Amino acid sequence: MVVGSVSRGCQVVVIGAGPGGYVAAIRIAQLGKDVILVEKGPRLGGVCLNVGCVPSKALIHAADLAHEVRGAERMGLTVEGLDVDLPKMVEWKDGIVDRLTSGVAFLCEKNGVEVVHGVAEFVSDRSLAVSSDDGRVEIEFEQAVIATGSRPMELAAFPHDGAKIIGSTEALSLQAVPERLVIIGAGYIGLELGSVYAKLGAQVSIVEFLPRVAPELDPEVGKALTRQLKKLGVTLHLGHRAESFEAGEPSLVVARGPKDEELRLEADVVLMTIGRVPNSEGLGLEVAGVATDDRGFIKVDDRMQTSVPGIYAIGDVVGGVLLAHKAYREAKVAAEVIAGEPAAFDSVVPAVIYTDPEVAWVGLSEEEASEQGHNVVTGAFPYKASGRAMSLDATDGFVKVVADADTKQLLGVVAVGRGVSEFIGEATLALEMGAFLEDVALTIHPHPTMSEAFQEAVEAALGQAVHMVNK
Amino acid sequence: MMAFVFNFPDVGEGIHEGRVVEWLVAEGDAVAEDQALVKVETDKAVVELPSPHAGTVLRLHAAADADIVVGDPLVTIGEAGERLPEDFAPTAEAASATAAAAPPAEVEAPAPAVAVRRPLATPRTRALARKLGVDLHAVQGSGSGGRITDEDVERAADSDAPAAPAPQAAPMGKVAATVDGEVERVPVTHLRKTIARAMGTAKRTAAHVTHVDEADVTDLLAHYRRAKPVIEERTGVRFTLLPLFIKALVTTLQKHPIFNASVDEERGEILYKKYYNIGVAVDTPEGLIVPVIRDADRKDMVELAAEVADKAERARSRQLGLDELKGGSCTITNLGPLGGIFATPIINVPELAIVGLHAIKERPEVVDGEIAIRKMMYLSVSFDHRYIDGAEGARFMSDMVGLLNEPMLLIARL
Repeated sequence: MVVGSVSRGCQVVVIGAGPGGYVAAIRIAQLGKDVILVEKGPRLGGVCLNVGCVPSKALIHAADLAHEVRGAERMGLTVEGLDVDLPKMVEWKDGIVDRLTSGVAFLCEKNGVEVVHGVAEFVSDRSLAVSSDDGRVEIEFEQAVIATGSRPMELAAFPHDGAKIIGSTEALSLQAVPERLVIIGAGYIGLELGSVYAKLGAQVSIVEFLPRVAPELDPEVGKALTRQLKKLGVTLHLGHRAESFEAGEPSLVVARGPKDEELRLEADVVLMTIGRVPNSEGLGLEVAGVATDDRGFIKVDDRMQTSVPGIYAIGDVVGGVLLAHKAYREAKVAAEVIAGEPAAFDSVVPAVIYTDPEVAWVGLSEEEASEQGHNVVTGAFPYKASGRAMSLDATDGFVKVVADADTKQLLGVVAVGRGVSEFIGEATLALEMGAFLEDVALTIHPHPTMSEAFQEAVEAALGQAVHMVNK
Repeated sequence: MMAFVFNFPDVGEGIHEGRVVEWLVAEGDAVAEDQALVKVETDKAVVELPSPHAGTVLRLHAAADADIVVGDPLVTIGEAGERLPEDFAPTAEAASATAAAAPPAEVEAPAPAVAVRRPLATPRTRALARKLGVDLHAVQGSGSGGRITDEDVERAADSDAPAAPAPQAAPMGKVAATVDGEVERVPVTHLRKTIARAMGTAKRTAAHVTHVDEADVTDLLAHYRRAKPVIEERTGVRFTLLPLFIKALVTTLQKHPIFNASVDEERGEILYKKYYNIGVAVDTPEGLIVPVIRDADRKDMVELAAEVADKAERARSRQLGLDELKGGSCTITNLGPLGGIFATPIINVPELAIVGLHAIKERPEVVDGEIAIRKMMYLSVSFDHRYIDGAEGARFMSDMVGLLNEPMLLIARL
C-alpha cells in the first residue's frame, strides 16, 4: 500500500461502465453482492452510449430524414430550402446521450452499485488501485470483472489530430459538414458514417484494403450496399491500401491500388475506421496474472473467467464480435457465475449495420452452414415484391434464410432493407428456440410489414412461396 | 499447494446421497480451514460441509439443487491465481465429450469437417441442462424434430451419475415399449464387462467363505482424531483412516502368508508373495475399479494416504494406467461409508482373500462388567476355502482385530 492512499474492500469490483460493465454491476448487485463500478471517464455508458451505438444512430436518423425529404417529390412532397444545421443536430444528439448516461447512473444508484471515477490498475490478483484527481484508492476485492472495452485502431501514417484526421468519436460531433470526406476502412462504422455525411452533403470517398464490402457476409449483401453507396454518390476504392497523408488545404490521402497504381484523394477531413483494439494495456493485467492473446484480447472461457479464478472479463476486451448486446449477455453470464449459478455463454449473436438500407444477420451464412456439413437449402424474398417496402419507398434489399435441407432446421438469416434491424431479434429467437422452417412459415406475420419477408423467404425455402414465383 | 478437489464426503449415518442446497462460498473466495462451504441436504438433515483446507475457491463443481453422491467433486480449492487444467478448453472438452458419447455406429461415418453443432434445445432447456450437469450432446431429444425437451434433460439427469465437471455421457439407451411396460436398453460398458467376467470367474472357481469379526476401534479413533490435524498440518496430506487399516492388514498378512498368495493351478503350486501390494476397491460412477498400492509394507501411513487419495481420484476420472491396476497380492474393500452391517465381498482373483471394512457404529458393549458406549466395527475376510481352512480365516481375522483393538500393538506391529 502506498502511503497516503485509502484502502477499502468490496465483494466485487467491475472495471469500466460501458454496456458490459454497468449491466454486470447492476446484475451482481441484484444478486446480493456489494459492488464497486470503476469508470475512468466522467460519464457512465461507455462508447455505446457516449460515442458509439446510440449517438451514431441519432445522426443516422436525422440524416435519413433529410435525405428522404429531399427525395420525396414523387410522393408529392416538395421542400424548398431544407437547411442542415449540424451544430443543432449534434446538440440534439448530445441531449439524448445525457438522458441515457444519467439514466444509467440512476439505475446504478437505485440498485446499490457504488460508482468510483478514476483509472484502475491491478496491484495484485485481489486488489486494484484507482487513481483520479481526488487521489488514489486501493480496493481489495473477492472477484473482479474487467469490462474496459475497445478503442479505434490508429495507423502511424495517419496520426489523429481531432481536426484533419479524426476517429468515430469526433465524427459524431463535427460542427460543419466537410466538403470532402475521405474514410479509411469500409467496416460497419465507416459505412454508417460515410452514408450519414453523404446524405448531409459531403463528397465521400471510402478507401478499403479488402476487395469487397462486408466480405464476411453473403455476397448479395456487399452488392446491395455497393449499389446504394453509389446512389448516394459515395466513391468506393476497394483493394486500396492507404499509405500516407499530406496535411494541407485540402489535405491529400495517398493510397495504392491492386495494380500498384497510386490514388491521390483530396480531403478536408480524413475519418479513420479501420477497426478497434482492446483496452487491455495499462491495467496491470500482468501483475494480476490475467492472460491475453497476441492481439491483446483477454482470454476467457465460456463462463467469462480469465486465467485467474475470480477475475472475469466481458465485452469488447475479450474479442469476438465487438457489439454492445454481446457484452450485455456476457455481463449477465459473469454476474451469475459470480453468484454461484451455473451460467455459460452459449448464445447466437445477431449483428446490424445501420447503413441505408440496413443490414442485419444472425446465425450461419450459407457458406458456413455448408462448411459445417449441412446439406443446405436457402430461400430469399426481395423487397421489390413487398407492398410494405413499396409504401416506404424502400424496395432495395431482401431477406435470405439458410436451413438444413434434411431436417429443415433454420440455421441463419441475413436481411438487407429498411428497418430490418427491428426483426432480426425475431430471427434470433427462432434460432435460440431451434425453430424449423415450418415453425416460421406457420407463424402469422402482420401485414403489411417488413418482417413478412422473413416468413416469405422461409416459405420460399420450403417451395411454398405465394407472393413470388417459386424456383 | 496443489489445487485440491473436495469431494462430497461421507457424512456418516450411512448416507451416500444428497442435494446441494446452497453454496456459502463463490469462486474466487478465500476460505479458512473448517469454514462452511456448502449446505447439503441428505435424507436425514441439512448439513454444512467444512473446508478441509484453507485456500481459494477455484471452481464449484455442483450447482445449487444438484443431486450428489459420496465421492462427487464439489469444489476445487487451491491458491489464488492457480490455473486449472480444465480451463481454456471448453471447445475441446465439448468435442471430446461428443466423441465419447457417440455410439460406435455413428463414429464410423462422420461428415467431413463437421463442427460441433449446437444441441437442438431452447435457451431454457440449455440452462436446465447446465444446472443439472447434463451434457446435451449426449441427450436424444424426444420433442418435435428431435428437440431436446426439459423432460429429456431431467430424465438424463436421473439416469446419469450426477452433476460432474467432466461431462459423463449418460448411458442413454433406446426406450421401447414391451407388453410389461417401457424398457430402456443400455449397452454394457467395457468396464462393466470386465467386472462381470472377473466376478463370474471368482464365484465359479473359488470356494468362497466369509469370516466376520468385530473390532472395538474406540481407542484407535481417539488417537486418529488427535493426530489427524497435526499430521495434515505438517504434511499437507489429507489423512484418512484407511492407511491404519492397510497397515493392520499388511502386518496380519506377514503373519499369515497364505492370505497374501495365489495358486498356479496348472503346476499345482502355491505362490507366496514376498511383497505386499494391496488393492483398494474404489466405487466409481461407472463401476468398481481396484487400483493397487504397491509395497504397502514399505510406505508410511502418510504416503499411503496420499497414494490412496490420488489413485482413487484418478480411478474416478478413469485416468489410471493399466500397471496401476495389476499385481495385487491382497485386496481391501471399504464398505463402511455405505452403511449396512457387513457384507461378503468376492475375492479379487487370482488372489486368495479380500478384507472388508464395514461401518463404524456406536454400540453398547460390556467393558469391565459395565455397559459402555463403544465405537464398534465389523471386519470380514472372504477367502478361498480350497486353499485356506476356516480356522486359518478365524485366526487371521482375530489377529487383525487385535491390532485394531489396541493401537499400540499396531504401532509396535505385533
